[in-house]
Amino acid sequence: MSIATTIVKSTPIFGKMFAVDKSTGLEEINAWPALMIMSSFVWLVVAGLLGLVMPATQIFDLGSDHFYTTLTLHGAALTFPFSFQLMMGVGLHRSGGCVGKPVTGLFAALSWLTMNLGAAILTVAVLMGLKVSVVVMFPLPLVGAQMGVWSMESVIVGFTGIYLVLACMILCYPLLVFKMLFFGKKRAELVLSERSLNEPGMLGMLLAAATLLLTGLPLVVVGTTLLLALYKILPMSLAAWAADPVVFQYTFYLFAHNLMEAMALMVASAMYATLPLYLADGSRKLYSEKLANLALWVLLVTSVTSGLHHFITFYPNQPAALSYWGNIMSWGTGMGAAISIFTILATIWQHGLKPEPGIVAVLVGWALYILDGASAIVTSNIAWTYQLHGTMWQSGHFMTVVLSMSLMWMGVLYHHYPVITGRKLDAGLGSLYIKLMTVGSFGAAIVMLAGGAAGMPRRFADWHPEGWMLYGNLILAFGLIIGASFAVYFYNLMKSREISAPMGELARA
Amino acid sequence: MLDYVYTGWGAFWATMFMFIPFALMAYWVIRRKSLVDTGPTRLQPSEFAPIEGIWLTFAFIFFVVANLASLKFIPWAAASGATGGEAEVQVDFTAKSWAYDISNRQIEAGKPVRFSGRSSDTQHGFAVYHPDGRVLFTMLMMPGTTKPTSVVYTFKEPGKYAVRCLEYCGIAHHRMQDELTVVKSN
Ligand code: HEM
Ligand SMILES: [Cu+2]
Repeated sequence: MSIATTIVKSTPIFGKMFAVDKSTGLEEINAWPALMIMSSFVWLVVAGLLGLVMPATQIFDLGSDHFYTTLTLHGAALTFPFSFQLMMGVGLHRSGGCVGKPVTGLFAALSWLTMNLGAAILTVAVLMGLKVSVVVMFPLPLVGAQMGVWSMESVIVGFTGIYLVLACMILCYPLLVFKMLFFGKKRAELVLSERSLNEPGMLGMLLAAATLLLTGLPLVVVGTTLLLALYKILPMSLAAWAADPVVFQYTFYLFAHNLMEAMALMVASAMYATLPLYLADGSRKLYSEKLANLALWVLLVTSVTSGLHHFITFYPNQPAALSYWGNIMSWGTGMGAAISIFTILATIWQHGLKPEPGIVAVLVGWALYILDGASAIVTSNIAWTYQLHGTMWQSGHFMTVVLSMSLMWMGVLYHHYPVITGRKLDAGLGSLYIKLMTVGSFGAAIVMLAGGAAGMPRRFADWHPEGWMLYGNLILAFGLIIGASFAVYFYNLMKSREISAPMGELARA
Repeated sequence: MLDYVYTGWGAFWATMFMFIPFALMAYWVIRRKSLVDTGPTRLQPSEFAPIEGIWLTFAFIFFVVANLASLKFIPWAAASGATGGEAEVQVDFTAKSWAYDISNRQIEAGKPVRFSGRSSDTQHGFAVYHPDGRVLFTMLMMPGTTKPTSVVYTFKEPGKYAVRCLEYCGIAHHRMQDELTVVKSN
C-alpha cells in the first residue's frame, strides 16, 4: 500500500471522503492525487472560515491585529495549499490517466510534503506575529522586525515556509509533470483516456509546468540568497542585491503573476478535456481544437510580461513604456479569453450538453473566471489602475481568480471522484452546491469590485470611514453562502459512501 | 461622459459591460442546448466561421477603443497636456511607517500640482481621496529608488482631501493617513 493511501486512511473525517478504491488497480495514479486533494480541502475549511472572520472583526471591532493575522492566513492558505494543491491533485490524476504513467515516486512525495509542510511552517510564523499578507510587500518582513513589531525568528520561520511552498510550485511539481510526460514507459493498464500533447487537454499541462519552472527560477535564486543570509550562512553584504526591494518585488511578480496564468492554462486545459465528455450527441469533439490551442498560446505569450501592470503607479520608477506594454499585454490575454468563450459556446451549440453537476460546476467556475478576467483587464489599464490600485477591487480580483479556478477544479473533480474512490456523487446535492456557489461567489466578487470602485482600501483594518461597512456586511452575507455551498459539497462527498458500494470496474467505463 | 468612464465606478460599469452580455449569452446557449433543444445543431461548421470573425473583431475593436480613449486620463499624459507652460506647484513628501512628512498641505485649486514622494522604510502608497470618497489617484513608493515616484494633478474644487496609504505596510497601515486642504485660487 502506498504511503499516500495510508495517510489518507488515517486522517479523520476527510480520509473517509477520499479513501482510494483499490479494486480498480489504479492506485498508482489515484493515491498521491487523492492525498493532495484531501489535504487541500482541509486547508479550505480552516482558511475559508477565516474569510468570515475578517468582516466579523470589523463588525464587532475585534482589533486590527486579528484582522491582519486573519488576512495573511486566509490569503496564503487559500492560494497555495488549497487552490494550487487542489489543482496539482486533480491535474496529476488527469495527466496520469491521459499518458498512462503512475503518479508516484520522489517528486510526487516531495510535491505534497513541501507544499503542506511549508504552508504549516508559514502558518506558525503568522501565529508568531508575522503579518505580511500573502504577497510579502518586501522589505516589510525585515522592517517589521527592525521596528520590533514582530520577531526576527518569525521572519526566518516565515521565509522557510514560503521557500518550501515555492520549491513545490517551481521545482517539484513541474519536474513531476515533465517526468510523466517525457520519461518512463506508458502502461496500458493505467490509460484511462488517452491524449497526446497536441490536444488542448494536454497542451495546457505542459505549458503551465514550463511557465512555473521558467518564470520561477529567478525567484528561486533571489529567495535562496535571502534565506541563506537569514540563516547567516551567507554574509548579508553578499545578499544585499537580493534584498533590494525593486529586485525582490519584480522577480516576485514575474513569478506570482505567471503562477496565476499557469494555473489558468491548466484549468482551461482541463475544461477543454472535460467538456467533450458531456456533449449530448456523444461526439466528444470540441468546436475546434486549433482554436482551443490558439487560446492557450495567446494566454501564454501575453501573460509572461503582463505582470508589469502591478507597478504602473510606481511611475517614473517604472518607465512609462513598460507600463504601456503591461497594459497592452494584459488586454491581449482578453483576446485569449474571447477566443475561448467562442470555442466553448460554439462547442455546446454544435453538440448539445448533458448538464450533469460536474460539468455545470465547471461552466459556472468558468463564467466567474470571465467576470474576473474583465475586472482584471480593466484594472490593468493605466488610467483606471491609478484609481483602483490598492483598493478592494484588487482583493476582489485576486480572490475571484483563485476561487473561480478552484470551482472549475471542484467541478472536474466530480468527474474524477468515482475513478479515485469508486463511489458516485448525488446529483441533487451537486446541483444545490452549484446554486449556492453561484449566488455566493458572483455576489462576493461583484461586491468586492463595487467596494473598490467606491474607494474602499484592501488589506485595511478599518472599514468604517466613508460608509465602506456596507460592502463589508455584504461580503459577510455572500461569504456565508459560499461557506454553505462548500458544506453541501463536503456533505455530498461524505454521503457518497452510503449511496453505492465501490464500483471498481465501472471506473474504467 | 468620458470623465465618468475613467473613474472607479466607470471601471465597475465597464466590467459589467463586458460581463453581462457574456453571462446572458452563455446562460442562453447552455440552457437551450442542455434542456430545450439538445439535438445537434443544423448549423454547418462553415457557418460558424463568420460569427467567430465578427465576435473576435468586435472584441478587438472594443479593447482598442477602451484603451485609446483612456490615454488622456493617465496622470503623466495629462501632465504634459494640461500644464501647457503653466508652472507646476511642487509638493514633496516622504512616507515612513506610519505617517507622511508633506512639504505643503495647503494647495490652490486650478493649479497643476506635482506630487513627488519617497519611502524611507518599506513600500507605501499615497492615495488622494476626493471629499466625496472617491480615489483620485494613488502612488506606489519603494525605499531606495533613485527617483521619487511622481504624479501631476490639478484639483478643481476646494475642500478637505484625505490621503491614505493603499500599500499594505504592517499593523498600523490603516492609520497611515493625512489630509490636504484645497483652497480657492486668488
Ligand atoms: C468563506 C467566504 C469568504 C469570505 C467571507 C472571504 C473574505 C475575504 C475578504 C474580505 C478579503 C479581502 C481582504 C482585504 O484585502 O482587505 C479576501 C481576500 C482574499 N480571499 Fe477570500 N473570502 C472567502 C472565501 C475565499 C475563498 C474560497 C478563496 C479561495 C478559493 C479566497 C481567496 C482569497 C484571496 C486569495 C484573497 C486575497 C488576499 C490578499 O490580497 O491579501 N477567499 N477574502
Ligand atoms: Cu504605508
